[in-house]
Amino acid sequence: MFYIGWRDLQFRRRRFIIAILATSLVFAIALILSGVSGGFHSEISRSVDSFGAGGWVVPASAAGPFSNSKVFAPEDVASAIQGGGKVSAMAMARVPHGDKDVMVFGVEPGGIGPKATSGRDARRSGEVVVDESLGLGIGDHLELGKRFEVVGTYSGRTIFAGSPTAVITLADAQKLTYAGQPLASALLTERLPTTVPAGFKALTNAGAEADLGRPLKQATGTIDFLRVLLWLIAVGIIGSIVYMTVLEQTRDFAVLKAIGVQGRSIFSGLVTQAVVVSVASAAVAALLTLLIKGFVPLNTEISTGTYIALPIIAAIAGVASSLVGLRRAVGVDPALAFG
Amino acid sequence: MLSIKDLTIEYSSGGYVVRPIANLSLEAEAGQLVLLLGASGCGKTTLLSVIAGLLTPASGSVTVVDTEVVGLSGSALTQYRRHTVGVVFQAFNLLAALTASENVQVPLRAAKWSKAKARERAEELLATVDLSERMHHLPGDMSGGQQQRVAIARGLAHDPPVLLADEPTAHLDYLQVEGVIRLLRNLADSGRLVVVATHDDRLVPLADQIVNLTPRADTTEREPERVELAAGEVLFREGDHGDLVYMIDEGEIDLFRERDDNSEELLLRATAGAYFGELAPMLGLPRSATARAVGKAVLTGYTLRSFRKHVGGPTAGSLLEGAADAHDAAEV
Repeated sequence: MFYIGWRDLQFRRRRFIIAILATSLVFAIALILSGVSGGFHSEISRSVDSFGAGGWVVPASAAGPFSNSKVFAPEDVASAIQGGGKVSAMAMARVPHGDKDVMVFGVEPGGIGPKATSGRDARRSGEVVVDESLGLGIGDHLELGKRFEVVGTYSGRTIFAGSPTAVITLADAQKLTYAGQPLASALLTERLPTTVPAGFKALTNAGAEADLGRPLKQATGTIDFLRVLLWLIAVGIIGSIVYMTVLEQTRDFAVLKAIGVQGRSIFSGLVTQAVVVSVASAAVAALLTLLIKGFVPLNTEISTGTYIALPIIAAIAGVASSLVGLRRAVGVDPALAFG
Repeated sequence: MLSIKDLTIEYSSGGYVVRPIANLSLEAEAGQLVLLLGASGCGKTTLLSVIAGLLTPASGSVTVVDTEVVGLSGSALTQYRRHTVGVVFQAFNLLAALTASENVQVPLRAAKWSKAKARERAEELLATVDLSERMHHLPGDMSGGQQQRVAIARGLAHDPPVLLADEPTAHLDYLQVEGVIRLLRNLADSGRLVVVATHDDRLVPLADQIVNLTPRADTTEREPERVELAAGEVLFREGDHGDLVYMIDEGEIDLFRERDDNSEELLLRATAGAYFGELAPMLGLPRSATARAVGKAVLTGYTLRSFRKHVGGPTAGSLLEGAADAHDAAEV
């Protein structure tokens, strides 16, 4: 008896179109939030991966390489590390640039660290490799306390939800941050070390990612919470439309039961309507998202999996929302048909 | 074909037990057009609901084509509703989103008929009710008479031996009424039992059997009737029909209503010299309370006319007022 639900859907199409539009807007916002959340996570992974390190050594009291404020003499620590392969020191500084902060990493030329994808790496003092989001090209200059020349660029290596990064030599970073003292905030190793000196710890890339994600934890938590709320709103919209339909069709359901249609057949009609509205909303939402995405200032990354999951989740939400009207529709007294 | 024995139907309304049908018996055969006549609220539709297997009576039995309807449940009830009785509801009750053909197909598709077979059968039935041209129209695009004929075609979907119709002429103009009446008569003539609940007496000349659910009060003049009751003896029950007004000569009478929790609500303890029971014969309504002797009691039962003479010729209006004052709105 699916066709009864389907034909009713066609008959009341104006109402269902309004419901689909409203629900698709909610779904689209949920998708955008998923994209923002996904953007945060992939930004973190991408940035950590760009260092090409197999392990990170930091003071034991530090949460990780990106939040550590305790500096140390890298040579002493590096010599005590075992099983890590090649070791490079890293210094880090946050430098204001216009309305943004640039996260500047100082790495040893030729050592482990982010590489330029266009141009070349910084080899000498006064050279910098920048993320393209800074809007600079090779040959341009960047003011970081002193004037640096851009010799290379890369893209998509931002941190903290869009702050661009730049890479200079370790010596320049030490001058910028530690008044030229030979200090570092972390050591990058080729592999995860088996032994580190007392007072230090070794982190995997996952540990480094967790550290980089710490400042965004509340933001991502809030986004996830809002996403759940939006799903509930979408279910609420579909549920209320289905429930209103049930209220209006109480007499029809009574007639159907009176002429021998079983309760489960009536329910299947309701499920058809709810699932069609949900899946159609998901499809419209996917199109809307493609249009809206470009206007969102934050990096928004929606995976294909999310687009595929949306109609499936929407269909489940549709079935759940149709349960709202189930009891009333199935429990209707067939004698009402005579009323 | 249809056999109803000692049928009593009760339902709860406002905390009280309402008994629109009490101890009804009825027999009807295939090929008959049976009219259930009566005023609004007399239980015509309720009786149809019981025959259709939509309502369970308080007592009695209803047998339709060798099937005892009372007590049917689950798939047996579904099969009964699908195959034994066809129902035509008041106000048509077609599904607004479905075309005439689709409406007729609903009971067939519910019984797992294939789409093609159901469509073929719907076309055949709509042709029978002279609606071949309106097959693909929505109910909203059809006249009341056409909708009623679609409803009849739907009721005939499984070719049931019994067709029940509730007020089939209620929403139709006289031209449409003629077509529907002729159709119902033809359906009966073709060997089907057609039971119609109506208060439209234009159907009366075509009926084979008329069941009046609002019996008119017996207006035959007769001598006052002396009634002696033992303690606890019931004079009449709520729901009974009656044509006498009672005056208490000796003793006391309790007038009470049955509540739906099986308790009794005493409306009045009438004493010697009081009268009660005037509304049932005056308005043709069933008794709305039960009268029971408290101890030994002696009463006189009067017809309305003789009661008026006896108490000094009150008008119907003053009787009504008197009833309201004396009985605290216990209109029995």
